[in-house]
Amino acid sequence: MSQAPLFAREMGLFARFGVYALLSLSLIVLDARYASLGWLRTGLSVVLDPLQGLVAAPLGWTHSVSQFMVAHNDLIRTNTRLVRERDALGVQQQDRQTLQAENDRLRALLQLPPSPRITMLAAEIVRAMPDPFSRKIIISRGATQGIEAGLPVIDASGLVGQVTQVSAMTAEVTLLTDRDQGAPVQDQRNGVRVIVSGTGSDNLLEVRFLDVHADLKAGDLLYTSGLDGLWPAGIPVAQVLQTEPPKHTPFARALCRPLGQVGQYRHVMVLKPHAKGAR
Amino acid sequence: MNEPGSQPAVKPLLLQGSVLTQPPTRAKVWGTLMVALLLSLLPWHDQTLWLAPDFVLMVLLYWNIYAPRLAGLGMAFGLGLVIDVAHGVLMGLNALAYCAASLAVLAVRRRLENFDVPRRTVQVAPILLAKEVLVLGIGLMAGRDNVDWRWLAAGLVAGLLWMPLAWLLDRLCGRPGLTGKAAE
Repeated sequence: MSQAPLFAREMGLFARFGVYALLSLSLIVLDARYASLGWLRTGLSVVLDPLQGLVAAPLGWTHSVSQFMVAHNDLIRTNTRLVRERDALGVQQQDRQTLQAENDRLRALLQLPPSPRITMLAAEIVRAMPDPFSRKIIISRGATQGIEAGLPVIDASGLVGQVTQVSAMTAEVTLLTDRDQGAPVQDQRNGVRVIVSGTGSDNLLEVRFLDVHADLKAGDLLYTSGLDGLWPAGIPVAQVLQTEPPKHTPFARALCRPLGQVGQYRHVMVLKPHAKGAR
Repeated sequence: MNEPGSQPAVKPLLLQGSVLTQPPTRAKVWGTLMVALLLSLLPWHDQTLWLAPDFVLMVLLYWNIYAPRLAGLGMAFGLGLVIDVAHGVLMGLNALAYCAASLAVLAVRRRLENFDVPRRTVQVAPILLAKEVLVLGIGLMAGRDNVDWRWLAAGLVAGLLWMPLAWLLDRLCGRPGLTGKAAE
């Protein structure tokens, strides 16, 4: 420990606090208004990510140990179920390929541009962000695997969210349930186009500004419309729970249940469009 | 304490003799702060995330009292920035809140250091809670208008957990339990 000087030759406590407060406030303004601190964030997260991995490692070990102790019967049962599911999926896949080929031919006949091809990158959910202002998760793929900000993220049952920040080995996904997140969707039944947004709650989405006469009923399935040019069309997003008549505003409101299940799966898929011209 | 000259009932103003404390070393301060940082990086369950206390601030405030030269405002600012990145919130948000909390403790540290653990906790817990209020408040002012007020619970949990933490760190410094000695 260093020797404390007899007479302190330094700024007073409150003056020092003033300097640091000014510094933090300018950082806050820079980040909130101009979003110009990405480099600092990426730099610090390069240090933090390995630490995070270190801490999460024991949890991974307990997981693998408990998997090792699984009963033989369970394994056989799961295996039979999976083989059956794979066979069913194989049939669907063949069907899909024929449809895709037919679709391509029809689009060519109509002289429409071919629909964009996408690849799927599987990623593991590392952790949920403790952020009181938004709902985010961290996934285990980053810029080195070709993840970019803006790519959509789905799981086995539907749309989960969107990549909002990328560091070298991890990426931050803002969930669809975040209040600032939204997705342009289309009703599967009649093609009505609306925008669903998050409410901040885990299992509720809403259509905020719904036309009073819009034909949206409880039970309708909403799929991405692909109109934003960002997310491919046809990803299941939500199911309408109920519509509320307008109360104090000229607009009605519809409540929906998100189809993507963030809490249940450890893995998600990031959809990456192919480069132009490449097939 | 057991010297024949001094009266056993009167508590000496400064700790003396065998109960003299070991000064907190740099290794101890940085080591405990590192452990706290690792704790806060743990993958908490999604549903209980808002209950997870801010371990780093809890440890930092303890060292603000007993090692202000090793863990002062500069340390608070740096750790705040690290937590900002780790939690993915606005840069500088936690840095400012940490600095404010440290300032509050540093300003009254001479008084705090002579209290026993429960009484210290009573005075530090409001600061821990105020930090959470400050974080949400600054976020609100910076235009993040969808605040989840449940997160204030983290401040309460931190206040409750500060007592066992202070006991633990007191043991680490060889600081005697003031309650036990004073009662003798």
